[in-house]
Amino acid sequence: MAGEDPSTSTNPAEVAGAADLPKVHRGARRSEDTSPDLSEPEVHKGRFTGGKWRMFLLAGRTGALTVLTLGFYRFWMKTRLRRWYWSAVRIGNFPLEYVGDPLEKLLGFLIAVVFLAFYIGVVNLLLMFASFSLFQGSFPAYFLSLLGVLPLWFYARYRAWRYVLARTRWRGIRFGLAAGAWGYAWRALVHWALAILTLGILWPRKTFWLEKYRTDRTWYGSHRLQQGGRWRDLLGAMKHLYVSVGIAAAMVGYGAITESVDMVVRSLVLSPWIAYGLAFWRARSFSILTRNKTAHGITFESQARPARIFGIYVLGYSISGFIALFVLVPLVLVAAAIFSGFGFGATLDLGPLDDLPSWFLSLLGAVLYFSLFLVWGALRHAFVTVPLWAHFTETLTVLDHDGLKNVHQRARDEFEEAEGFAEALDVGAAI
Amino acid sequence: MKPAMPTVIRVGAKPDAVTAFGIYFDGETAIPNDVVLTIDEARSALRIHVGAKTVIWPLADIRRVPDQADRSRQLLRLAGDPVARLFTEDQLVTVRCPNLGRRVPTLRTGRLMSWAAGAVASVAIITTVLVPVMANQLADVMPARGEKALGDATFQQIRSVLAPSGADELRLCESPQGVRALSKIRTRLEGAMEQSHELTVAVLDHGMVNAFALPGGYVVFFRGLIEAAESPEELASVFAHEIGHVDQRHVTRHVLRSAGTIGVLGLLFGDFAGGALILFLTERLIRAQYSQAAETEADEFSIELLPKAGVSPEAQARMFERFRAMAGEADGLLAHFLTHPRLSERIDMARNAVPEGFEGTPLLTDAEWQELKRICR
Repeated sequence: MAGEDPSTSTNPAEVAGAADLPKVHRGARRSEDTSPDLSEPEVHKGRFTGGKWRMFLLAGRTGALTVLTLGFYRFWMKTRLRRWYWSAVRIGNFPLEYVGDPLEKLLGFLIAVVFLAFYIGVVNLLLMFASFSLFQGSFPAYFLSLLGVLPLWFYARYRAWRYVLARTRWRGIRFGLAAGAWGYAWRALVHWALAILTLGILWPRKTFWLEKYRTDRTWYGSHRLQQGGRWRDLLGAMKHLYVSVGIAAAMVGYGAITESVDMVVRSLVLSPWIAYGLAFWRARSFSILTRNKTAHGITFESQARPARIFGIYVLGYSISGFIALFVLVPLVLVAAAIFSGFGFGATLDLGPLDDLPSWFLSLLGAVLYFSLFLVWGALRHAFVTVPLWAHFTETLTVLDHDGLKNVHQRARDEFEEAEGFAEALDVGAAI
Repeated sequence: MKPAMPTVIRVGAKPDAVTAFGIYFDGETAIPNDVVLTIDEARSALRIHVGAKTVIWPLADIRRVPDQADRSRQLLRLAGDPVARLFTEDQLVTVRCPNLGRRVPTLRTGRLMSWAAGAVASVAIITTVLVPVMANQLADVMPARGEKALGDATFQQIRSVLAPSGADELRLCESPQGVRALSKIRTRLEGAMEQSHELTVAVLDHGMVNAFALPGGYVVFFRGLIEAAESPEELASVFAHEIGHVDQRHVTRHVLRSAGTIGVLGLLFGDFAGGALILFLTERLIRAQYSQAAETEADEFSIELLPKAGVSPEAQARMFERFRAMAGEADGLLAHFLTHPRLSERIDMARNAVPEGFEGTPLLTDAEWQELKRICR
């Protein structure tokens, strides 16, 4: 077992599980588990050990360095933020560890630039030419250029996951994601097209199948994960969105036909419900997908609460927005002063700002502009991302039916390109 | 367990004192091992007692894993071992490790440098050679219909952006006598051109001292420029300059070129805070370099065309001198000419181009010139 190559493992339990995986439902599941051991599982509860304030400082400090280095430090910033987030997630007694390296991210980015610069430069130019020659306008070029980048975008996303998982450890054991980025890219294109063509009704189908594609290729050491369940299990998680967005669409549609602006405006009343619907979907879909994941005797339980997620969004963005106003307002005033100096809107009376020299105003404007991004980014980490991670972690339980004692280390996935393509294409800007 | 791990057999000396406790992961299995930690003073190493076995970590090679959220315990590793980890709440161990904060290198810098050079070279070649060359080639083969559409759209945009408050678009100046005088200048210039262009000439009712060319043969003057010119020849020199832009398809080339360049620059700056501003400024810088070259080309075109049309390039020199004199009161919108730093050089170039003993033929009668100046009435 020790020398086994995980990528070619054909564990009998796994094959049997794939063949007739029982329909997995909440509660009734544990006794049907494919694990050979039916004794009481060892319970590893999730706990989040990181505080908002420290994340605020870390994100602010690394963000400032990123700006000062014209973006160069962002590879270090990303690495440090991930190390912190990962280390704050404790399952049982032990945290996750992120072992990604800033320099390997830089290398991956450089590799991606070498390939993509050619593609993006030449293809965009050709598209612009074709668009004016054939369609007498630039719109088709932008549209086609976006369409041309989409498969690459999904490809890059999968590669980025592969990199991140390959650099994630728990209890000293590496995670991994098997190759399959192009397979993911075309499946994602089809599922997204279906979801869009059905006006979002098949959204849960897309979510489920893409999650399954990814999960079924995920490894924890020598154990391979499996996504059970059916996509219809996720339909219930969409109920608030289906109804609220459906009514809003009907109101807007009716307003458009009867040319009644009132009706369109009235549909805005539904926005809190739609926002709750989004939180509901996020919490429920995560819980359902998580409960249906298994890995050789390891199962999962998640009790993420929609109301809590909704609260984090509302409160987090309100607090962040309020604090960011203290930077935004001066920025707007300085911008107004700069433009009134150029002869625009000369009627504004900006008091003392009017008397400052223009170079000073420009400098002040640039400092405020970058500060706004920095402060907003750091606040969002502290008041939105940290609470969300904390909630998802603390409502997560890992149940071990003797799976952990059988897991073995997997070989290092060198993966030289790291997440370079994702970095160059701005995929997954979160962390 | 690694078979190569050294096992130490103590001879004679008393056993090490227990210094701390910890939890050890060997990196082979997921099983946590409760361990006793002692320090071997003779070898200056940490001894991790994992059951009956002992793992030796030289103190100088122990590193702390950085940026950990939970500060109640330390996560330690060995520089040479990528997977083994040790958790300990005890500070007693860490105070003995001299290189705790040192980085663990994972990458050869030579490799990084060669890819960095590759990336820089690739971006440089693409933005300064490949994209411009392709843009130039493609601009020449773009169908006239496509260019005209690009010009039409841009012309409409400019008219609505500059519209006075209360109007949808900027008024065109079309007094019949003025238009007739302007086309007389145009006919003279066209007669001297080697290659004919389908021109669309327009005058916009705006005080800006400027003129511009658009794809599809647009040559557009602002009222301010016609008022600032003191002779039909001076106006003709600007006219010839703009035809130069049309002849060289500068705007079409520029549109194609920036479509390629912006994408590549976007790759480089990514999504870091405020990166859009840097992207914008860099693109502006490249654009300025490019438009300076384009202005020189258009100047060359006009000082070659003017004598053939019976107009002395001296008129162009005088027009530029007027721009230079006005620069003091610039409102930033004379940009088309005034942002170019070497206006004096351009004046010299025009003046030196006057052929020996050149005698010009007047373009318009005084009466026609006065009508042209009133084209917006």
